[in-house]
Amino acid sequence: MTLLEVAAKNALRNKFRTTMTILGGAVAVLAFVLIRTIIVAWNKGVDYAAKDRLATRDKVSMVISLPKHYIDDVRTKIPGVKAASYLSWAGAKWPKDPNVFFANMAADENVFDLYPEMEISPDAIERWHHDKQGAIVGAALAHKLGWKVGDKVVLAGSIYPGDWQYTIDGIYGAPPQTALDQSSFFFHWSYLNDGVKAGMKDKIGWIVTRVDDPSKSAAVTAAIDKLFDDQDTQTTTMSEHAMNQGFLGGASAILAALGIVSIIIMVIMMLILGNTIAMAVRERTSEYGVLRALGFQPGHVRLFVIGEALTVSLLAGLVGLGLSYPFIEFGMGRWLEENMGNFFPAVHVSPVTAATAFAATLVLGGLASLLPAIQAGRLQVTDALRRIA
Amino acid sequence: MIPIAYNLRNLRARKTTTAAAALGLALVVFVFATARMLTHGIDKAMHQASDPSVAIVLRKGASAELESGIEVPKISIIGTAPGVAAFPNGRQQVVGELVAVVLLDKVGVEGGFSNAQVRGISDDSIAFRPTVKIIEGRAATPGTDEVVIGRAIRGRFKGLELDATFDLSKNRPMKVVGIFADGGSAYESEIWADVDRVRATFGRGTIVSSVRVRLDSPAAFDGFAAALDANRQLDVSAMREETFLLKSSQGTSIFLSAMGFMIAFFFSIGAMIGAMITMHATIAQRQREIGTLRALGFTRFQVLTSFLFESILLSLIGGAIGAAASLLMSTQEISTMNWATFAEIVFKFEPSVGIIVSAMVAAALMGILGGFWPAIRAARINPVQAMRGA
Amino acid sequence: MSSIVELQGVSKTFYRGKESVPVLENLSLEVPEGAYEAFMGPSGSGKSTLLNLIAGLDKPTSGSAKVAGSELSQMSDGQLARFRSQKIGFVFQSYNLLPVLTALENVELPLLLTSLSGSDRKKRSQTALRIVGLEERMDHYPRQLSGGQEQRVAIARAIVNDPTILVCDEPTGDLDRKAADEILALLEKLNKEFKKTILMVTHDPAAAERAGIIRKLNKGQLQ
Repeated sequence: MTLLEVAAKNALRNKFRTTMTILGGAVAVLAFVLIRTIIVAWNKGVDYAAKDRLATRDKVSMVISLPKHYIDDVRTKIPGVKAASYLSWAGAKWPKDPNVFFANMAADENVFDLYPEMEISPDAIERWHHDKQGAIVGAALAHKLGWKVGDKVVLAGSIYPGDWQYTIDGIYGAPPQTALDQSSFFFHWSYLNDGVKAGMKDKIGWIVTRVDDPSKSAAVTAAIDKLFDDQDTQTTTMSEHAMNQGFLGGASAILAALGIVSIIIMVIMMLILGNTIAMAVRERTSEYGVLRALGFQPGHVRLFVIGEALTVSLLAGLVGLGLSYPFIEFGMGRWLEENMGNFFPAVHVSPVTAATAFAATLVLGGLASLLPAIQAGRLQVTDALRRIA
Repeated sequence: MIPIAYNLRNLRARKTTTAAAALGLALVVFVFATARMLTHGIDKAMHQASDPSVAIVLRKGASAELESGIEVPKISIIGTAPGVAAFPNGRQQVVGELVAVVLLDKVGVEGGFSNAQVRGISDDSIAFRPTVKIIEGRAATPGTDEVVIGRAIRGRFKGLELDATFDLSKNRPMKVVGIFADGGSAYESEIWADVDRVRATFGRGTIVSSVRVRLDSPAAFDGFAAALDANRQLDVSAMREETFLLKSSQGTSIFLSAMGFMIAFFFSIGAMIGAMITMHATIAQRQREIGTLRALGFTRFQVLTSFLFESILLSLIGGAIGAAASLLMSTQEISTMNWATFAEIVFKFEPSVGIIVSAMVAAALMGILGGFWPAIRAARINPVQAMRGA
Repeated sequence: MSSIVELQGVSKTFYRGKESVPVLENLSLEVPEGAYEAFMGPSGSGKSTLLNLIAGLDKPTSGSAKVAGSELSQMSDGQLARFRSQKIGFVFQSYNLLPVLTALENVELPLLLTSLSGSDRKKRSQTALRIVGLEERMDHYPRQLSGGQEQRVAIARAIVNDPTILVCDEPTGDLDRKAADEILALLEKLNKEFKKTILMVTHDPAAAERAGIIRKLNKGQLQ
């Protein structure tokens, strides 16, 4: 038996209060982990970028298209380019539920060479190449809308009005925990181009480039923009990382606010815990007096108090984490991936988040007990005993 | 009735415990109120921008201005539909506008850039919106490279200041000649330029994104919409502007509301637990007192209500502090991406009497729920045992 | 026989804000080793204060207090704590057992301050419980024991460190007659068989009678 063990047992004395405190702490930990996981998942999506991929778009605005021949220029005139392809945002909707948001993009034939991390069977790509109306869709999107390979689907155009018919030729996935968006819908640019009015033909949205040597990305970036600089349509090229950041970074203020809220939650937990410990100390003055009488030093008494606080914090942290994992892994995480997949492609409780939450609980618990511990240690023995005699 | 002074004095006597519990509740109410103020700010920004007599016309199938395109000749046809009101000078109140986003460098974020919303307006656009006022500088001269910008977006991007310039296309800088305000509406996050200029830059041929009309009265909408629907060649559909703006902000709004709800849920549980622990402990400490009260003749019910009241009092104190703190937030603005327009939009934390009142009610409710069981236990105390000091 | 307690000119004054409350005045006392003494007096007479001073729970305002070979008036708080753990055993009126610990664990508590191994501690604690006759209850919690049994566990805890002096503050105050008699018999055994010096403050005449000497205090002075 050690003094810490006795302190731990003391925690279990007032079952109601201890249970409530653990519950309160666990709820705070759960909320903290939830918010942090959302922030981490968001940043993962923003930070997800291959080191060797660049994106080239119109310099002024993403709604301005580039002339199609720019792709030939990039392929032939820029040194250091391993492969280049182009995409156009079509923005068509699923007529049965127009509110479902997914990236509907017209692409060049070789687009999948640019995304080697996508898991697609070569058969599927082969099928797609021979099917003018073919589409390759992401696994999360297929799951949500109930699509299988071979299904014929019709999308309602918005930017390009009309009914667009497709056949699902393949479904792509990604290795687990990869932040690749699995809710995109790729189809042939030639199919789009055939179906648009004369004034809108031969235009592409943006160019994606893979460079031979990532360390030379800056040079390639500069070369591309310089090539188009004195034309009517100028470009701005940036790493995929920068493009994602610019695009998704707009929500940074909200996320910062959420981050603050997560800290506030932990502070509240600390208050609850501190309050409980203070109450416990007040009740136990006579016991501390006895310990001192028996010869224990003020330091021992302080340890006693802190030990009790840490026990409760530990349990709160464990319960909180125990609740978080199933909640996120089986509930919230999957929902976000399916319904807001392009913003939250991969939602999991990261080990860092879990460790931070646990450590924070212990540290805050210890901090909360500091003042009561010091006060308990300072007690005059005779005062403490007088309260009981 | 057990006098209220009993509860008040007890709260004051146990200062640290009361303070800790009240602080916890204050934080909860603060977060509640602030989150609601944000959604209210969004609603207000959207609502302020809409006029119940205005209808917006988009191409059939489009739900956002950015994905819609209507040929210019159709504008006047739309203007002849039934129910459209007229300006004092006799012209129909109909405006066609072209909406786009432009990539600009942010101020204050090193290397950061984001999309700002540009609206190509027609000559009648400002007259069409009577709530819009130029608060600094002057209106832009039609057909030129001059723009006016909304109050909220001012200073957030490089070049968006009075007399500053920014590039809309190569070697054609746009000059900011005026700042406009619109009662906090969503328009205040926009740049307004000449529609032809925007059209030329974005290579959109002779189209506009949307057409807005002012109807004689809100009731005239149904007739108006039906007439447009019947004309197959127009290939457009009409919506009340209010409905349209509501749908635009839905994505952002839903996400924020979901976040707010989740946070509120956890916070209120935390607050209730805090109140429960505090009340439970104070009752345990005051056992002898309670026994004495009962011996003196106060009933169980009076004891119950007294402690419930103390719990509510504690919550209201915390709630008041939290509400006051949240009012400080109303001076803050926050910018976020509007998923419907892909542009940044600035919101304020908008307080309202309703929010403050509901926050206090929520605090009281948490006090009741948290303090209920401890109060029942207090009422059940056996006076004889309690006074003996069991 | 040598004196185990030597108080000379001891005074103790308490301060309440600006007011000073003298409780003991110029008190001298000698207690021989192996004595069994009872201190009696009206409330406010200073008998508890006197006991606290001898036990090293408090220091005299002036005067010298030599107990079991240590000069208490010169010792720091840390030194006093060590003194208490080695030389003094406490028995309180309200037993003061830790409710979360079993009888055995309660008795073991003072031994945590020594460098004994876990198994040695357990052995010593069991021995102490055997002496007070409660060995078969060693795994019971205080709430499962009667008042008299709790006090006996407290006594076991007081002797487990083999102290020189047993200090008892109203040890029979919370007990009925029968239990009180059992406790007093136990204390007598500890005094006669185990040669423990016992200093007791009491209101109970029956308890005082069992002691060898009764000392009366009034207004901070020994009569």
